[in-house]
Amino acid sequence: MEGLFFNINDGFIEAVVRGYKNGLLSSSQYVNLTQCDTLEDLKLQLSATDYGNFLSNVSGVLSTSIIESKLNDNLVSQFRYLKAQASEPLSTLMDYISYGYMIDNVALMITGTVHERDRSEMLERCHPLGWFDTLPTLSVATDLESLYETVLVDTPLAPYFHDCLSVDDLDDMNIEIIRNTLFKAYLEDFSDFAKTLSSPSDEVMCRFLAFEADKRSINICVNSLNTELTPEDKLKMMPGLGRLSNPAFQHQMVHSDDLEQLKIVVNSVGEYKNFFDESNDKSMEDHFYEYEMTLCKNAFTQQFTYSTIWAFLRSKEQEIRNIAWISECISQNQKDRINNYIAAY
Amino acid sequence: MSDESIFRSADMILVQFYIASEISRDCVSVLGEIGDVQFRDMNKNVNSFQRSFVKETRKFDDTERQLRYLESVIAKQQVPITTTSYDDMIRSSTRDLEGLANRNPPTTSQMDAMVEVTGKYEVNVRQMADTYDDLLSRQSDLLEHRTVLQGTRTFFDARLSLEVQHGNSGMNHIRLSSDVDEESIMIEESSDQPLMSQDAESMNNDNANNSEMNILGSNMSFISGTIDTDRFITLEKILWRSLRGNLYMNKVPIDEPITDPKTGEEHYRCIFVIFTHGVRLIGRCRKIVESLEGKLFEVSPDYSVYRRQLSEVNDKLMDLNSVLEHTRERLVLELKEIALEIERWKIQITKEKAVYSTMNLFDYDPTRRCLIAEGWLPKDDLSAVKSALRDVTERCGTDINTVVNVIPTNRTPPTFFRTNKFTSAFQSIVDAYGIASYQEVNPGLPAIVTFPFMFAIMFGDLGHGFLLFLAALTLVLKEKSIARMKNREEIFDMAYTGRYILLMMGLFSMYTGFMYNDLFSRSMTIFKSGWKWPSGFKEGESITATQSGVYPIGIDYAWHAAENSLLFANSYKMKLSILMGFIHMSYSLQFSLVNSWFFKSRIDIIGTYIPGFLFLHSIFGYLCVTIIYKWSVDWIGKDKVAPSLLNMLINMFLSPGHVDEPLYAGQGIVQVILLSIALVCVPWMLLYKPLALKRQNDVAIRLGYINVQGGAAAAAAGTLDSGNSGSISQVGGDDYSLLSTATDNLSAATMTSFIIEDYDELPEPFNFGDVMVNQVIFTIEFCLNSVSHTASYLRLWALSLAHNQLSAVLWSMTLQNSFTSFSKRGVLGCFVVFFLFGMWFVLTVAVLVCMEGTSAMLHSLRLHWVEAMSKHFKGEGYQYEPFSFHDILTIKQDEVNGNIQ
Repeated sequence: MEGLFFNINDGFIEAVVRGYKNGLLSSSQYVNLTQCDTLEDLKLQLSATDYGNFLSNVSGVLSTSIIESKLNDNLVSQFRYLKAQASEPLSTLMDYISYGYMIDNVALMITGTVHERDRSEMLERCHPLGWFDTLPTLSVATDLESLYETVLVDTPLAPYFHDCLSVDDLDDMNIEIIRNTLFKAYLEDFSDFAKTLSSPSDEVMCRFLAFEADKRSINICVNSLNTELTPEDKLKMMPGLGRLSNPAFQHQMVHSDDLEQLKIVVNSVGEYKNFFDESNDKSMEDHFYEYEMTLCKNAFTQQFTYSTIWAFLRSKEQEIRNIAWISECISQNQKDRINNYIAAY
Repeated sequence: MSDESIFRSADMILVQFYIASEISRDCVSVLGEIGDVQFRDMNKNVNSFQRSFVKETRKFDDTERQLRYLESVIAKQQVPITTTSYDDMIRSSTRDLEGLANRNPPTTSQMDAMVEVTGKYEVNVRQMADTYDDLLSRQSDLLEHRTVLQGTRTFFDARLSLEVQHGNSGMNHIRLSSDVDEESIMIEESSDQPLMSQDAESMNNDNANNSEMNILGSNMSFISGTIDTDRFITLEKILWRSLRGNLYMNKVPIDEPITDPKTGEEHYRCIFVIFTHGVRLIGRCRKIVESLEGKLFEVSPDYSVYRRQLSEVNDKLMDLNSVLEHTRERLVLELKEIALEIERWKIQITKEKAVYSTMNLFDYDPTRRCLIAEGWLPKDDLSAVKSALRDVTERCGTDINTVVNVIPTNRTPPTFFRTNKFTSAFQSIVDAYGIASYQEVNPGLPAIVTFPFMFAIMFGDLGHGFLLFLAALTLVLKEKSIARMKNREEIFDMAYTGRYILLMMGLFSMYTGFMYNDLFSRSMTIFKSGWKWPSGFKEGESITATQSGVYPIGIDYAWHAAENSLLFANSYKMKLSILMGFIHMSYSLQFSLVNSWFFKSRIDIIGTYIPGFLFLHSIFGYLCVTIIYKWSVDWIGKDKVAPSLLNMLINMFLSPGHVDEPLYAGQGIVQVILLSIALVCVPWMLLYKPLALKRQNDVAIRLGYINVQGGAAAAAAGTLDSGNSGSISQVGGDDYSLLSTATDNLSAATMTSFIIEDYDELPEPFNFGDVMVNQVIFTIEFCLNSVSHTASYLRLWALSLAHNQLSAVLWSMTLQNSFTSFSKRGVLGCFVVFFLFGMWFVLTVAVLVCMEGTSAMLHSLRLHWVEAMSKHFKGEGYQYEPFSFHDILTIKQDEVNGNIQ
């Protein structure tokens, strides 16, 4: 039934997203890219793809960062186009998507301020999808409470802050804690929202969010090994959703003292079994990305869902990472590692 | 037929060129001027960046980028670009040797010089433009500063006068802005400051840098500046929160938008003043303002300081303005120089790039001294191309001759119809549906007549047709000046491209309008009517006309006012459209015979054409004959009721042999015979062709050929067996397999010689199941379609009726009302006629000519694409797209125009 009325408001967007998805680089195109000897070759090769001549107005020598920023511009403009076309509840979903980037930006700004970096430099590094008007003013205050009271209270992130206002001094560790606490609140809120969507959007979205949450849980536990964080502190940051969210797992995870114990817990979830497999030069991060790409690929098999947008966004980000990786390998002449990209389509 | 090639595609041959690599550029550029060769990609497996001339194309890419940059600066500075004088560089293709000799491409060193010059210009211009932008941003800063100074002044003045009223301020003297003309202060420097007191002077010295102000007795610090209007609220909110309300803010919007010199966007900004206590809080405000991209300017409440600051700013501004003016002049001077040449450069770079990207398709011979190219070429142009290339070789004086070989092949050649400006529009109607298969009958040729005619049947009105004709005539007569026009609007461009179609449509509609006797829905009394109305009748009495003769041509105008005119017109037009439709379909079907004949496919003639022909004619041909027969019989004279043809046709199927209302004697027998012919045709069509193909295949296998391709795929891939025994194309006789004749001819000529065989994909082996399924589909489609397509032609009647009635309604609702006797309306009547005519004419053009015309055109299009072309058109070819400078340049220009829009 949900398919009956879906196209009234969202058919166009879905069509556009699927069009974008078809524009993603295929594995044969990746093979072509890896054969390039210089970044100029890469540019020529990319001009035969959907990116077209997006680099043609760049003067001077190409660099990975230029290519990456242009690719990002491309992604942002596509996202904005979709958002401009979106109606409820899709527009809220897309808002939620951008909250994630906002949290990252906030953390970035605060870290930058703490380290007294240049404001414009920090703003450049912020993700454009997580931009909000008062983002630059975050550089003004130095303690979280005043930040919250003056700036953040107006942003949609405000509700996520209520758990972390107790943090008093801002150092790198605390910022990371804030970030993860925010993400926990955000993911829980997002998944509550996702559950209100019509089927099958809710199902697929929840799958994505669950993985997102698990990824964060694992990261928290791995990174907090050998720190003085208490298990209770860790528990506060673990999102309450995902396959690892069941209390028994969480208890075991936060109480793990070394990687081996953690591995045992994570490996008990079937799909996550090879996350700690370090053969083939693959890091945990790579495994995460790979798993996410499978999820994305699966998400595209469903029709009449909003989750395709999330899947597309993630796939495109992966593609940008891939191109950046390839171009970095080319410019640093490390051809032997050039094949470590993750092509999904 | 050879030079015309509009009925069938021109004979295409695959040609191999051996070009010495040092003259390859000249040769390719001559071929580009000729515009007659479609090159094949010889290095399909080579990545685009690994090709031989990628360095050159990259160089020109860069130059193109530089030119784009220069152009954008030129556009920004609004320097006019000379374009027209280089229009002659976009010359149309020619085969004339002398003409070609005059079109020498610039030498490589010339090109290199040009690239260098553009590079230099780019560096220069970029530098100057950057300085200019820099100065501009400084100018806008200063301007903003001045606005802030002035804006805050009014605010301070108001504040001060308030204090004076309260009587608790002795420090500042009254100075109202009306006392001194602000403008005069800005421009001329009045050195004396008459309103200044010693008191204030000392205050100044103390507080000049702290910018404090005494407001109502308390000392407050303040800052002021500008900020985007839409960010002001955010600023206010954040300040309020972070200072906990301990502030006083004021804002004055700036009326003029301020242009950001970097992005060129216009922003509305406003001036703000913030008062608060203490240095720390001011510092915090400052930070917040800066983080919101506000600009802070130093302002003083004191009048004398204000005067000094203002004069400083003005001085700076004046200096800056003169520098700015100088920079701009120099920049514009440089740009003017570039603007003269840039169009020529662009054309040359485009050509050069096209030459090198074409050369990227070529292959080096093993010694790397020659380039090998392959391309399709119309057979008739071979000698022209050969001699042009010889010419180039001689001119360049190389010892290696350019060799042009014709190579026999089994590839499908591209389809190429030579069109001129008249036929090209009609051809594009067909091409929009599908590109004709190589050498099949081109439906674009008959469409020149049938398309406007079908349109005219629906659009029959002498007046409307004349309007359309006039509009099209204007386009045709002014075609040269319109062609030079740049930035044609999209819809207009469409009308322009189709101007000859419109012209023909107008002419044909005038003819049908004359036949229908319709002139803006009124009838014309040209000849004597064939009907006589009785005289001496009372008003309101119904009268009957008697026939007195036959109207010479078209519909008698006497029908116009008659009560049963609609009945008459309906029956007449309905039958007419059936007749027209049948004729249209029937002759389209004949083309399939022509095609089968041309491709020597006996199976197709026997298996599809003949049964199809019999089926169509025994049912609908018979219907058409009875229509005409019924017209030609005087039923009233015979005192019989005219039989209904629709019932007759239905009963012919439902109760064969039995006739309710006989039309002629022996009707039952005739109908039974016809019906049985039609019924026999169905299994015939269904079975003959697959079985015949199977037999052929079996014979071929028995003769020892393996895997003979009889299926449809074979037609595309060629019909040559992989052995060396020449041609066995007689087996590949499926649907007039496109190549069988082509290869037949070739193999006859080069029976023993070597034939290039490269299949793009392997031909599928003969599969009886597939052929059978295809034939079943074909048969069902043909039989059902002959019914539905005939019915589809009834749209001719429906649209013609609708058009006629709509124009009648429009006439009676508007213009007819204005014609009353003078006594009724008096002089006012003139105005009524004037306005109602205007209304009638505008609606006629907008609704009847434009809207109805479009709809009739679309219906006519459909009748051609679906009803007629499905009878014979395969459309499996691909377009011949020769490498031609003319095409590349004009298409590029169109693209540029499109981007501007």
